[in-house]
Amino acid sequence: MSNTTGISGAAKQAALSAIVDGKTLKAALFLASASRGPTDATYTTTGEVSGTNYSAGGESVTNGNTAALSGTTAFWTPSASIVYTNVTLSTPFDLVMIYSTTDSNRNICTNNIGSQTITAGTLTLTMPTNDSSTGLVRFA
Amino acid sequence: MDDEPLIWTTKGNVPVSSLEYETKWVIAPGDFVKLVEEYRLGDEVVRSNAHVLSLRGLGSNSLVASL
Repeated sequence: MSNTTGISGAAKQAALSAIVDGKTLKAALFLASASRGPTDATYTTTGEVSGTNYSAGGESVTNGNTAALSGTTAFWTPSASIVYTNVTLSTPFDLVMIYSTTDSNRNICTNNIGSQTITAGTLTLTMPTNDSSTGLVRFA
Repeated sequence: MDDEPLIWTTKGNVPVSSLEYETKWVIAPGDFVKLVEEYRLGDEVVRSNAHVLSLRGLGSNSLVASL
């Protein structure tokens, strides 16, 4: 054994915990023509999709998980799929932003799902396995 | 029961048998797998669904400077 340099797993877990644990989260969809991403500090409606049965701000995210730690990687994933039911979104969209309404709409992550439209149907986003190698948000 | 199954579309409830049903798969290796279902009436898509399975989320590496 030898001594090692690094940020502790406990610190990473605490940092992740501060932005997700117990927070009220939502998931908004953005047009493929927009320029949204991780440089956006907060959710705004700029570039957001619009259509039948889609409300600005998107859908609620089921947040039954808390930030976890495996080795020195902290991770977190929503605890259920995100579902947009019976929507018509005619203009192509490709981005999902998960943000915290608890923290003034802080942008937590943006995920590209490929360009898509929906016609009188359902968009289901099934979450990855919540672990240190595939979790939706990971601080390694 | 001999009622014909109906499906909700942009044209209202129509018999499922009157529509063409197509599926498409979009695979972004390591990122997501997407199944798109389309119901067509002629050339018109009257209903579509998409199911996205995220395979892996986003990782962020942390850095620490040497002292």
